[in-house]
Amino acid sequence: MREPNAIDFWRGLALVTIFVNHIPGNTFERYTYSQYGISDAAELFVFLAGWSIGIATRERDGRPEPRLRSVLRLLSRTVEVYRAQITIMALALAMIAGTALVLDNPLILEWHNAGGFFADPIQTTVGFVLLTHQLGFFNILPLYVVLLGMAPFFVLLARFNRLLALALSFGLYGLSLVMEWNFPSWPGEGDWFFDPLCWQLLLVLGFLAEDVSREAPRLRLWARRLMPLGIAIVVLGAILSVLELRPDPLRVPEPRLIFTFDKTYLSPARLVHFLGVLLAFQTVYGFVAGRIPALADYLAGLGRNSLAVFSMGSVLSLAAQLVRFWTGGGTLVDVLVVGFGLVGLSFTAWFVEWRSRRPRLPSSA
Amino acid sequence: MVRRMALPQATASLLGVILGATVALAQGAPTVVSPPNPPAGPQGTEMPDPSLSPECRVPGSKLYTLNKLKAVKTALKEKRPVRVLAIGPTSAGTGASATYPVKLETALERSLPEVDIEVDSRGLQGEIASGAAERLRGMVAEIEPDLVVWQVGTHDALARVEVEAFGSALDDAVKWIKSHDIDVVLVNPVYTASMADDAYYTSIVQKVQEVAGREGVPLVQRYEAMRYLSGSSDKGEGHMFGRQFRLNDLGLRCMAEHVTRAITLSLLQPDTAVTGTPQPVLKTLPGSPPAAQAGSAAQ
Repeated sequence: MREPNAIDFWRGLALVTIFVNHIPGNTFERYTYSQYGISDAAELFVFLAGWSIGIATRERDGRPEPRLRSVLRLLSRTVEVYRAQITIMALALAMIAGTALVLDNPLILEWHNAGGFFADPIQTTVGFVLLTHQLGFFNILPLYVVLLGMAPFFVLLARFNRLLALALSFGLYGLSLVMEWNFPSWPGEGDWFFDPLCWQLLLVLGFLAEDVSREAPRLRLWARRLMPLGIAIVVLGAILSVLELRPDPLRVPEPRLIFTFDKTYLSPARLVHFLGVLLAFQTVYGFVAGRIPALADYLAGLGRNSLAVFSMGSVLSLAAQLVRFWTGGGTLVDVLVVGFGLVGLSFTAWFVEWRSRRPRLPSSA
Repeated sequence: MVRRMALPQATASLLGVILGATVALAQGAPTVVSPPNPPAGPQGTEMPDPSLSPECRVPGSKLYTLNKLKAVKTALKEKRPVRVLAIGPTSAGTGASATYPVKLETALERSLPEVDIEVDSRGLQGEIASGAAERLRGMVAEIEPDLVVWQVGTHDALARVEVEAFGSALDDAVKWIKSHDIDVVLVNPVYTASMADDAYYTSIVQKVQEVAGREGVPLVQRYEAMRYLSGSSDKGEGHMFGRQFRLNDLGLRCMAEHVTRAITLSLLQPDTAVTGTPQPVLKTLPGSPPAAQAGSAAQ
């Protein structure tokens, strides 16, 4: 088990934010930072995933590990994430169907994009396994599967030439924005909620930032100097967000995705805002770890076990939604479901680490 | 996207089956195949609309409120394809032939036999009160439709979003669509007996109705229609896998017909704003009542 660090801390914060935001309408939603900016926790989560790839594909002494090992490591992680997505989707569908049956209420079957599965099970079962049918709130892991699948290419290319990797990633992002390239949903029309062709840029940025920061202390110095700029961007984002000021997608010039605040395509405004957030909050971990170590430990614990915590968080947030609907909601219910969820996330992290620590039982037992 | 040209023979056979009237819009504009008001029943009670499939028959007043559809009318006059964006929790599913968007396109092309209808459908994740309205704007900008058919309210109801917040967000979204000269038809959420006494749920349904009235857009009263159907199809099945689920299935199957009925009757609304345009001429088939007040029963 590694010691608490800034990356795990921020990833833990992203996980808690995603959990709370995935219980729409709850009292605590308005206290998450996602409500006060143009970008949200999804950007943070993907950027940190890229940063972690940078750490994972190097030896302890900082040298890059053998290429084949990096490729296999990323492939293995892709399989893990895919398995997690299939598992939580199956659980979610059963929870939705089960609740609809117990409450004798077919309205629940229309829960975010679940209706297709129950109305059209033959096609949708195929789409479910191909990741082209995604339930609402369950679309981050499919993105992550594709990003991890692309990662070996960028990781190996960056070892050859970082600038080339960045240029290719940015080029793909720009082209996808202009041409509106995305992965299709199937069955049904439309596209993926998170466009992997655009969001790959954040993963590559995270990976390259880790790489450069390791070798160039001047990057950190410049990041400190640019902190006021980051704070200005964050303040501007908060004002725009609170006043609900955003470009009208039917009034902006073409290509419109360059100008709108679009989450699916990670429009430039979201990207710039996220970079501003990184600059503005870069010193927060040091402050929290010094003053409130328990909070730093809690969040870093979640971040260390992000896949398990994210998966459990997805299931718990759906359970919380169903409980809120069944009971009618209210502050007390919100305190209970969110409180239970936060404890559940912490238990998940602890349980994963306990399982990895305990001596393996003989398989015949 | 599903595209299909309507066949003239389908029109002919449909005309032979239904009790209806053929309405020529204006000067060679496409034909609207749509029966006028259904005949009144005994003691003046309103009979279910006979143009609908037997299992979907609901009286007009329980099914829709009508309003003008200027953008669709303009498309019809210009004889160009009508682009429809169907949005809602059950809008996904083009993989199969029997899903709502496909049925909607088929039903609309039957009612507008000389017109090419292009239906795009999108599932809209999230609540109108938080985020989904913004995604809706992106979808509308992507498709640039003439008409948005929007099943709305389910997700906000499931999240128990505050009714006023939902209403004002919906109002803003409808205003925004209309401000770009795009028509909107709202469809309110499903009826289910287990929610019939849920005051919150009923207030969400009413809020959709209120916004449709305030913004002057047609409304398909899916809730009322399903409640009516639930009363007429009581087989007395109990809890678990019971009739609520069958009713839900029926609600889905009938929705395309109900939406089409509301659209075609809304197209017959007199367009008083445009001067010099001949009013729709209703050719009443023998046996049908006067059709001059088509759809007015629903007002």
